[in-house]
Formats: sequence, C-alpha cells, structure tokens
Amino acid sequence: MTKRSKFKDPGFILAIVVLVYSAFVWIWWPHEMYVAGVALTAWLMLAGIILWFGLAIVYVLWIERVEKSVKKQTERRDAHEDY
Amino acid sequence: MRITEAIIVFLYLLFMIGIGLYFYKRARSSSSDYYTAGSNINTFVGAFAIAAAVASSSSLMGAVGSGVTLGLPYFFAYAFGAIGILPFAMFLISGQVRRAGVKTMPDFFDQRFGRSVQILAAIIVVLAMTFYMVPQLTASGLIGSYVLGIDYIWAVIILGLGFTIYAALGGMWAITYTDLFQGAIMLLGVMVLAAFILFDHSGIGTLLSDALSTDPNFGDVTQPWMAYFGLFIAFLWFGIISPSVVMRNFASRDAKTARRSSMWGTLIYLLLFLSGMVVAMAGASLGIAGQLDNADMIFVSVIEHYLPPIIGGIMLAGLLASIMSSADAMLLAVSAGVAYDIYKKNINKNASEQLITLLSLIVMMVASVIGILIAINPPQLIAIMVGWVGGFLLSSFGIPFVLGIWWKRANRQGAFAGMLGGAVVFLVLVSLQILPTNAEPIIAAPISLILTVGVSLMTPAPSREVQAQVDRYHTHIEAEGKAAARSEEV
Repeated sequence: MTKRSKFKDPGFILAIVVLVYSAFVWIWWPHEMYVAGVALTAWLMLAGIILWFGLAIVYVLWIERVEKSVKKQTERRDAHEDY
Repeated sequence: MRITEAIIVFLYLLFMIGIGLYFYKRARSSSSDYYTAGSNINTFVGAFAIAAAVASSSSLMGAVGSGVTLGLPYFFAYAFGAIGILPFAMFLISGQVRRAGVKTMPDFFDQRFGRSVQILAAIIVVLAMTFYMVPQLTASGLIGSYVLGIDYIWAVIILGLGFTIYAALGGMWAITYTDLFQGAIMLLGVMVLAAFILFDHSGIGTLLSDALSTDPNFGDVTQPWMAYFGLFIAFLWFGIISPSVVMRNFASRDAKTARRSSMWGTLIYLLLFLSGMVVAMAGASLGIAGQLDNADMIFVSVIEHYLPPIIGGIMLAGLLASIMSSADAMLLAVSAGVAYDIYKKNINKNASEQLITLLSLIVMMVASVIGILIAINPPQLIAIMVGWVGGFLLSSFGIPFVLGIWWKRANRQGAFAGMLGGAVVFLVLVSLQILPTNAEPIIAAPISLILTVGVSLMTPAPSREVQAQVDRYHTHIEAEGKAAARSEEV
C-alpha cells in the first residue's frame, strides 16, 4: 500500500482553508463598517458561501487526480510483481 | 381556504405517496435497500437528494423569517455555515466513512470505538432527530393552516401523519426518488419567486434600498457576536454530525458519485440561498414582520404578495416538499437508530429483515407522534430550533467522530467521555438560558474536545487492528484498499 501522509490529503488541506477564511471573518467581524447600507461582515459571509462552492469543485477535481495517479502506481506495481 | 393552492398541494402530496407505494415492495426486500437504497443512486438523483435532505424547511422559511426579524447579517451567518455543510463533510469524513463500509453513523462508532460508544451514539441520534421533527412539523403546520384555512394544530397533525406514513412505507428508495422531484420543485419555486420579486422591484439594488427604507436596521448586526458564531459552527458541522445527511452519502453508487453529488448539491443549495436572500429583502420591504403571529410566516406572506395563486401553490408545494424530505430522512435516522443500532445489534442479533423493517415502521410512527405533540406549541423560531439540534449533535459526537477518523490514538474511553460530557454540558446550558441563543456549542464542543483528547491520553491506546483500520480509512482508491487487504491475507 502506498503510504501517504494524512496531512497531505486534499480534504485536510481544504478544511484548513475553510477554517482560515472563517477565522478571518469571525476575528475581524467588521460589524460597524457598512457597504450599501449593510454591515461589511454580512458581505464577507456572502463571499464565503461562494468560496465554499469553489472549494467543493477544487476538491472533486483534485481527489480524482490523486486517485488516478494512485491507481496507475498500483497497476504498475502489480504488473511488476506478476512479472 | 385557498382553493387553487390547496388543490396543487393535495395533488402533489398524492403523487409523492404514490411514489412511496411504488417503492414499498423494493424497500421491504432488505434493510440495505430500506436504509441506503441498496447503495445504487446516481449523481443526478443524488445531488438533488442530498441538497433536499440538507435544505430543510428551516433553510427556506426559517432563514428568511429570522433574516427579516434579526437582520440580513443573521441570514448570512446562517448561509455561511449552511452552504459549507456538504463541502466540509466531504473534506473531513465522507470518503473515510464510505471506506469504513458501515451502514449508519452509530455503526461507525461501533467499528472504531466499540459497543458502549455505539449505544450512546444511537441514543443521542434518536433524541436529536426526534426533536428535529419539531421545526419541520411547525413549518408544515403553518403552511397547512394557511392553505387549508384550518387550525394550526390540525394542520400539524394531518400533514405530520401524512408524510410519516409515506416515509415509513418506502424507506430510502422512496425518499431518494421523491427527493429528486422535491429538490427540483423547491429550487425552481424559489428561483421563480426571486425572479418575480426582482422584476417587481427593478433589480437587486432597488430591492435592497426598499428594504432598508422600510426597516433601517435590516443591514445591522442586531445580536451578540456569540449568537452568530454559535449558529455558524452548528451549521458548518451539520453534514458531519447529522445522521440523515451521512446516510445519504451511503446511498450513492460509489465514492466518485457521492463526491459529485455533494458538489452539485452544494450548487443547488447555494442557488436556494441566493434566492432566499432576495425573498428576505422582499420580506423586509413589505414591513409586515411586526404584524404576524409567527415570524416564520414571512416567507408565505412574500409568496402571497408576489406570486399569482397557481405559481404560489407550486411554491407552497415546494416548501412542503422541503419539509417532507428532511423530516423523512430524520424519521429514517430515528428508526435506524432504534431498530438496527439498538435492537438488532444489541438485543436480538437473529432478528429477521422483516421484523427489523416492521419495528422501523412502529418507531417512525412513535417519533412522529412525539414530534407532533411538541410542535403543537413550538418552543422557538424554526431557525433557532434547528440551531439547537445542530449544536447538540456537534457538542456530543462531532469531536469523537472526526477524531475517530483522523487520530489513531483516540480510544473508546475518550470518545465515550467526550460524547457524554459534550451532550450533558449542552443540555445544561440550553436549560439555564445563560448564553445568547444558539451559542451553547461554543462552550460544549471544546469541553467535548478536551474530554476526548484528555481521557484518550490517560487510558491505553487502541489495539493495532483498530489503528490499522484508521489507516485504511485514508487509502485513496478501491484498488489500493484491495492491495492492502491482499497483503494482510498473506
């Protein structure tokens, strides 16, 4: 079995991205600055929900690439062992 | 009684019950078919199904109602967590739980931590999902009393029992396939409503100005920071800790299909919330929040104000659809918790498939009746009640679940202490009412984390087999998993 660090897993890395953006919004919390009559904090959260969907696309494409490369490695190794 | 709307809603429910009956035979063939649709659902159906399961009545009525009452930032705090549900679950647990090869969430706890944690998890699932019926039933009662012109209490009873019978008959097959229609109607309905509103107000900029001129506080942060943050974390974790959402994941044909379903499901959910934002602005511009008995009725008032009766009827059917799909998935989680996780695994291991399915039917009816009794006099706004459920599940098994997947050293004692401690602290905080609304998990979840890590480190590490199992959760493809299994056989 190919040993791979759990911390290099696309899911783990993207979960960190989610936590970093969330931390940015919740720590800054600009609730007294207004854009178009609405607190800036609300607009940051709106940007966040679009970011979440973007990250979902990145994850699906990334993990499919990882799976493809692992599959190739495994097939190559099996062929070599059979030989 | 609103005749046009009532006819459309009635025909719609009849159609859904027909689908339930059609899948009745198929669902009774095995418990795998009943709970996870035989793990044979494709991406297209799966995307709508998972979006419909996540998008409960709260997503539509609750978010809009609370957004108009508490301001647009509250609506966005809700959305900020809710849209993250599927991606966050996909990043941290979905693939790993699939590779664990378990059927329900407590099953996972059994495999990873042992029987005692599994039983505790099953009890928590049953309690939380039964209470989760309350906001769904509240919403269905509000819509039913509006459309049929009957008393709210009767509307709760009739609609509650109606969709319980349908869910009980068909299991996950019926639920997943009706979700395709429900998801589509819900999405289409809210988008059409948003289009009507935007046309009426000549665009989003004018709509926002109209809302702010009617309610100058609409754009303000009106609650303490903790209320927003508590709501956010409860929802962000919802896909990880909600048994009904996790069970949807098991219904997909394979891991790739499950991931793609979640990705498209996120888009559907995003579109729903963007349309919901327009509905919330329209609700604020009408200036009726103070005149309604229940703030959650704002959504229905917006429909009535902007849409002609026929389209309004379809939209209301869409709202009922969202309630029905979520409530059905919850009922299924409750019945799986009792019939499968507690009875079959711990009381009667030789129970036949038929007996288990029959027990599931009885449990669903009991859970539904309990939900109806509480919903007759709902304790809070829909959004807040849903926030409680999310907060309770996060505080109890959010941490042991994620650490069970990612940290080999987490053991049975730690998971049990973290689960029980988090649940008790949450319930104490809710009953004392000393924190802002929905802020309870901010305290209870870290306590669960400290207990899980601390007790795990103070007690012996899990066996080598269990630690090897954790490694297997993180293999990337089936071929790799098979290779690992082969090398172990040798």
